[in-house]
Amino acid sequence: MGLSDDDLRVAAMRAGSTLRVDELRRIAQQFGRDPSLVELHAFDAQWSEHCSYKSSRHHLQKLPTTGERVVVGVGEDAGIVHLGEHNGERYGIVVAHESHNHPSQVVPFEGAATGVGGIVRDVLCMGAEVIAVADALRFGNAANPESHQRYVAQTVVDGISAYGNAIGVPNITGDVYFHDGFDDNCLVNVIALGIVKENEIIHSAAPKGSAGWDIVLVGKATDPSGFGGASFSSVTLAAEDEDANKGAVQVPDPFLKNVLMRASYRVFAYLRERLDEMKKNGTSFEKGVPEVIGDLAGFKDLGAGGIMGCSAEICSAGGYGADINLDNVNVAVPNLPPEIIAIGETQERLIWVLPPEITPDVLRIYNEEFTLPEVAYNARAAVIGTVTEAPHYVLHHAGEVVMDVDIEFLTGSIKDELPFVMPAPSEDLGEPAHNPYKPAPDWRRVEKLLETELSNPDSCSREPLYRHYDTVVRGATVVARGAGEAGVLAPIPGSKLGVALAVSGNPRYGEIDPSRAGEFAVVEAVRKVIAVGARPIALTDCLNFGNPKNPEQYGQFIAGIDGLADAARELAIPFVSGNVSLYNESSSGAAIPASPIIACIGAIDDITNVATRRLREQNPHLIFLGSHGSFRRIDYEIERNMQALLIEAFQRGLIIAACVVNGDGILEALTKMIFKDGSRIRHEVDLTDCNHEDLLENAGRTAELESDYFLAAAEGWILEIADPSETYREFIEFAEHYMILAERDWINLNFVHEGNGLRIPVPEGEELRPFDHLYEAWMKPLAEIYP
Amino acid sequence: MKARVAVLIFPGTNSEAETLRILRDVGVHAELVHWSRGETLPQYDAYVLPGGFAYEDRIRAGAIPAHDRMMDDVITGAQKGKLVLGICNGAQILLEAGLVPGTGPIRRPTAAFTHNAPVPHFICKHVYVKLAIEPARCAITAALEKNTLIPTWAAHGQGRLAATAAHLDEIGAGGHLAFVYAHADGTTDTSATPNGSALGCAALTNREGNVLAIMPHPERDAWNFNHADHREGDDILVPSGGAALFRSFARALA
Repeated sequence: MGLSDDDLRVAAMRAGSTLRVDELRRIAQQFGRDPSLVELHAFDAQWSEHCSYKSSRHHLQKLPTTGERVVVGVGEDAGIVHLGEHNGERYGIVVAHESHNHPSQVVPFEGAATGVGGIVRDVLCMGAEVIAVADALRFGNAANPESHQRYVAQTVVDGISAYGNAIGVPNITGDVYFHDGFDDNCLVNVIALGIVKENEIIHSAAPKGSAGWDIVLVGKATDPSGFGGASFSSVTLAAEDEDANKGAVQVPDPFLKNVLMRASYRVFAYLRERLDEMKKNGTSFEKGVPEVIGDLAGFKDLGAGGIMGCSAEICSAGGYGADINLDNVNVAVPNLPPEIIAIGETQERLIWVLPPEITPDVLRIYNEEFTLPEVAYNARAAVIGTVTEAPHYVLHHAGEVVMDVDIEFLTGSIKDELPFVMPAPSEDLGEPAHNPYKPAPDWRRVEKLLETELSNPDSCSREPLYRHYDTVVRGATVVARGAGEAGVLAPIPGSKLGVALAVSGNPRYGEIDPSRAGEFAVVEAVRKVIAVGARPIALTDCLNFGNPKNPEQYGQFIAGIDGLADAARELAIPFVSGNVSLYNESSSGAAIPASPIIACIGAIDDITNVATRRLREQNPHLIFLGSHGSFRRIDYEIERNMQALLIEAFQRGLIIAACVVNGDGILEALTKMIFKDGSRIRHEVDLTDCNHEDLLENAGRTAELESDYFLAAAEGWILEIADPSETYREFIEFAEHYMILAERDWINLNFVHEGNGLRIPVPEGEELRPFDHLYEAWMKPLAEIYP
Repeated sequence: MKARVAVLIFPGTNSEAETLRILRDVGVHAELVHWSRGETLPQYDAYVLPGGFAYEDRIRAGAIPAHDRMMDDVITGAQKGKLVLGICNGAQILLEAGLVPGTGPIRRPTAAFTHNAPVPHFICKHVYVKLAIEPARCAITAALEKNTLIPTWAAHGQGRLAATAAHLDEIGAGGHLAFVYAHADGTTDTSATPNGSALGCAALTNREGNVLAIMPHPERDAWNFNHADHREGDDILVPSGGAALFRSFARALA
């Protein structure tokens, strides 16, 4: 207080704070005094965009978040959506979705690994068993082997692989794009799924009646790593700060996490036992007999803002305060200053709120049964404080009070109204920028064009990348990564219930029109989930955009949300979890392509009826359902009808293989289905044997461009219909109930037979061009980056 | 009395749940035994070491856990003729413990499953393994047909069998090479081996045939739902594929 604005700015900067002058004055005014150093850092973290969503929250409210399957909506560490019932128990799928973009750009291995580590804790702390992770990656142009972009692209994958593989959680789906716009700022989005019985959910809040309960910190010993991570992720990366930024990145320990997860599962089981016992004996707390496990405990992941952020949020969410003694925190190095103990973002830590009569057993499970102190240096579970009735957040250190603030003021919502300029909506966009399609007058060129497209970094095989991930640990895999449009698991032993997960978000669309890119991200993710035989039940989003202080970039962000909201509302699917990552730009001020990245969760009642992309029959019955063109305005009436048709057809067991056509050509998509047999190809596409007129009419093209038809952009699904032919007729009859047939949005592709290659018409008759070199062209681009 | 099987958990093990599940689904009485509860191990009739990264693969995969206290009981049991099955990290531990191929002293490994080649990187890939010994040569494979082909997932960074040329000859001649990598049609050539493993080795057994160390995971392709597009029969939940090895293990216990 009493300083001029300029002096205050300098003083704050010296103290390492990124808070603005008006924010600093607001804090001092509220306190009636200058904040202590610990308090300054605490507000620095809590009021960063990363924690406060100050410039995004009011726009995010446009997203639909309610629905009859929503069990826990947006607001906790993870969302939960109802999957189904098994043996009279209701099961929920827990889902969380986050970015770790800035850390991954600065220290790719640790940044990406801690991204996985953090998202796994978000799911774990809901009382769930973690069953899957997924990753959506956006890298710069990595074509040059010597480039930093190549290094980032490789090392991020190494980090995700090292972490996910060690903890034993399969990586079931994901996507990757390479684009110059990410040269200085890669995107690493991670998604995690968990399974939980709905009456065993633990919330990220101190339970009702928990004043006086213990606050228990569990996990890695606190060290100086990751100090200032929250505010770091809310600034723009500058090359000269790279070394300083590195200190803000956390250090992963997947080995400790593996044990921490298993120990926590044991604690969940123990809490179930205690609850049953208390119910049986009628034992009660002051405020009544606990009904569910959530009445017995609160559990929350330590992320941004460290011990302070987590303990303040978990207590304030229950309407309580907290009193914490930093001297009780297990540390890795002596004499750490209090602000680092309180706010540093050391990984692999969680906080429990537990009744004192239960605490000793929980400590025993972590420290003795699972020997945390032997697994990692000074790792343990320890009581560090108490939940208080008084709504204050108080920190003690070395006998002194180093922080004492109104907990509501610390964790309550703040809002920045920033100016924005909306991007001009595009009317008819034609194809995205990378589209190589040209009218091709002769069929031999079709093969050439197909080769060009198959070897495009955006559409080539992803297998060399995901082979680095353990995609099948836990043994519950139904559709492994890469085998189908979405990953599918059977998460409940003995049950036929399945869960599907797909991700989507094409940056080339984001460049053209952020709003429509948002719509397409939703629609594509939904189409993928449907293509494995699932019913879409929930969405999550991570909004990766530029600097909100730049009105154009902020406008793109708002437009992106509008697109997501429109599509989700039209398709009646709620968002249950999400994350915002702003300030994704390089120091030159160039923002990344607008990147709303979406994950869609699907429910499957009976995993008997799932489909992969692999063609099942030697002479498959194939149809294309959809429309020509790409990135056109979506007709939701038709979209809903097509989706309803497919969901029901899957349930009847009529579809046995499926692939989504995402603005690529039908021939290209068909070829990729054939390549799902690996190098041992067993199908031929006979282009001498297809009904051109029907196809061309559908494509809206003229006969002289006939070869173009197969390569031209289309959107929809290629479906293999079950043999025998009665089933095929059943599907057609069934499909005729839908108006889409009248719209001509489907065609027969019954020209795929046993064999290997493209059979094409040439002036001399016909020619068979074996697929082998196309297969190699398809595998090669990513194999060079990920050998 | 029915034989009891311990599924061991070291710090860093990660495949215990599905391993336990397939054992139980084929009728084995199996229980998890955790590293801080190791004192119960002598009471069990057989041991299964599941996959993971025990002790973080420090030094070399399997090197530290081979010296864990729990392995004292496994080694003693193996020497008494108890069945021991190690999968992936469990297989690495059995090599480091000197139980397979078992031609040298205990805890003085003569061969190792080490970094994949040519690229020393983790690989996750569906592969087939083919029984390369007479079924009865190893008690755990005794109930399999000759040349049985089993679907599995390779998921490891250190799965390449490495040993001196002379020792590899000994492994081949002594009938230690239990499974080799194969294509889906049963043919075996170097392109079927995902990790550059010497002799195309996917699994080794000891001289007595009571210990089997297999690198790829049969328990990850062990139910119809794991291979939904080529299932055996209608019920999606029944064991199939890789379950064959566990059935044979169950038969040997009976």
